[in-house]
Amino acid sequence: MRTRNIGMYVLLTTIALVFVGPFLILLSSGLKPSDQAVFAFPPDIIPRPPVLDWVKEAWTAIPFPRYLLNSVIYVGAMVPAYVLVSALCAYPLARLRFRGRNLIFLAILSTMFLPGEVMLIPRFLVVSQLGLADTYAGVILPGLLSAFGIFLLRQTFAGVPREIVDAARTDGCHELRIFWHVMLPAARPTLAILAIFGFISVWNSFIWPLVVLKDSAKYPIALGIAYLAGITGTDVRTLAAGTIISIIPVVVVFMLMQRHVLEGMRGAVKG
Amino acid sequence: MPGQRWYTPYLFALPALALFGVFFVWPAVTAIQLSFMKYDVVSPPAFVGLDNFVRLLGDEKFWTATLNSVLFLIGLFPLLVVLPLLLAVLVNQKLPGIRTFRMLYYLPVVTSMVAVAVAWEYVFNQQGVLNWILTGAGLLDQPIQYLLDPFWALPALIVVEGWKSMGFYMMIYLAGLQTIDTSLYEAARVDGATAWDRLRRITVPLMIPYIAVAFTMEMLDAMQAFTSVYVMTRGGPQDATLTLGYYIWSAGFEHYEMGYASAIGLVLWVVMIALAILNHRLTRGKS
Repeated sequence: MRTRNIGMYVLLTTIALVFVGPFLILLSSGLKPSDQAVFAFPPDIIPRPPVLDWVKEAWTAIPFPRYLLNSVIYVGAMVPAYVLVSALCAYPLARLRFRGRNLIFLAILSTMFLPGEVMLIPRFLVVSQLGLADTYAGVILPGLLSAFGIFLLRQTFAGVPREIVDAARTDGCHELRIFWHVMLPAARPTLAILAIFGFISVWNSFIWPLVVLKDSAKYPIALGIAYLAGITGTDVRTLAAGTIISIIPVVVVFMLMQRHVLEGMRGAVKG
Repeated sequence: MPGQRWYTPYLFALPALALFGVFFVWPAVTAIQLSFMKYDVVSPPAFVGLDNFVRLLGDEKFWTATLNSVLFLIGLFPLLVVLPLLLAVLVNQKLPGIRTFRMLYYLPVVTSMVAVAVAWEYVFNQQGVLNWILTGAGLLDQPIQYLLDPFWALPALIVVEGWKSMGFYMMIYLAGLQTIDTSLYEAARVDGATAWDRLRRITVPLMIPYIAVAFTMEMLDAMQAFTSVYVMTRGGPQDATLTLGYYIWSAGFEHYEMGYASAIGLVLWVVMIALAILNHRLTRGKS
C-alpha cells in the first residue's frame, strides 16, 4: 500500500508539473539576468541571480500601473453590480408568484446559448449607437447580466426556510426589506462564490474590451499584455515579467479562495 | 401574497430585463438583419438579400475556417472530454494533500488566455522545453517552430486551449464522481475487478450525464476558439489556424464587412444549436 501511494504521488506531481510548468518557465524567463540565455538545450531554469530589471522594464514599456488600475476599476464596478443585478432578478424568480415568471427565467437562461463571438459585432454596433463605444461604461454594462449568477442565486433563495420569510412578512416587512435583510444574508456563501468568479472573469476579460476600446489608456491588464506582446522588439524577458505580474492578483485570490471556487463549481454542476 | 403589489416582482427583475433587452435581444435582432445587408460602418446599411450567404458558399476562407473549427472540435475531444475524467478519478482518491493537486490542475483555468498564450510561446520556442523533450526522447530529429509551421500550428493551439480548460472539465467530473456510491467499488473489488474494469463498468456508465454535459460544453468552446488564435497566430500561417470565431472578428473589425461577418456568425450560431440538440438526443437515450 505504501509503495502504491508513493507511485501515486509521483504521478500526481508529474501531472502537476505539466499544469504549472509553463508558468514556471515564464517566471524563470522574467527573472533571468541578461547574460543568461532564456532558451537553451538542456533548459536552464534557475535564474543566476534572479533580477528585477525586467519587471521594471515591463512597468514602463507600457503604462502598466494604468492598466492595473483600469482592471481594478472594471472589477470594482462590475463585480458588485452584477451580483446585485443577479440577486434582484433571482429573488422574485425563486420566491414570488407572478405572470411570466417561467418565461423570464427561460429568456435569461437562453443567453447561455448566444455565443460571445456571434454577438460581438451586433453588440458593438448597439453599444456604438448608444454612444458608449470607447468608454468604461461600454465595457462594463454588457457584462452585468449573468445567467449563471441568476441561476445559482435562484436556487439558493429557493432553499431559504419559509418560516424565516413568513416571520418577517408578519412583522410587516415589505419585499425589499425581506430581500435585503433576510435573503441576502442567507445567501452569503453563494454571493461570495459569485464575487470570486466575477473577479476572475473580469480580471481576465479580453475580447469585449478589445472590441469596444480604441483608446489604449482604458485597457484592462490582459489587453495590455497582448499589446506588450504585439510591440515589435519587446524583449522576451520583459514580456515574461509583465505577464507574471498580470496574473499575480488572480492567482493569489484563487489560492486564498480555492475552496469556494471549487465548491461553487460543484454547486453549479449539481444544479 | 398580502402586502405585495402586482408590479413588485417586475421591479426586482427590471435591471436584468433591461440588460437582457439592450445587450441580448437588440443585438440578436441586429445580427439577423445585418446578415441580409451590406454594411461597412461608413455608409448606411444596404439590403442585399441572400448575397452574404451565397458569397459564403463560394468563400474558400469560410470553408477553411469551418474545417479548422471542426478540427478544433475533434482535437479538443480527448483533451476536454476523455482526459479530464481520468484526472477526476485520480484526484477523487482520499490521499493527504489531494486538494493541493486539484488546485494546481485548476490553475490555468483562472489565468487569462492571454497570459496562457504568452507562457506557451516560451514552451513552443525553437529552443524551448518542448523541443528539448521531443528531440531528447528521439521523437523529433529537428526542433520545430510549432506556431510558424502550417501543419503544427493548429495542433499547438488545440493543446493550449485543452491545457487551459482541462481543470474545469475535471471539476465537472469530480462533482459527478462524488455522487457515486463507494460501496459499488468495494463490491467490485471483492469480486476481483481491476482498476480498468471498475472504470469501464462502474464509473463510465454512471458518468454518462456528466460526459454529455462535458461534450456539449466542449463543442461550444471549440467552435468559439478566438483568444488563443488572436494572441498566438492571428489565423496564420497561411490560414492554418483560421477558426470561425477568428474569421468573424477579422471580417468585422479588420475588413469592416459587418453584414458578411454577421452572416458567418448566424451560420455558426445555427451550427452550435444544432450540435447541442444532436448531442442531447444522442446521450439522452443512453442515460
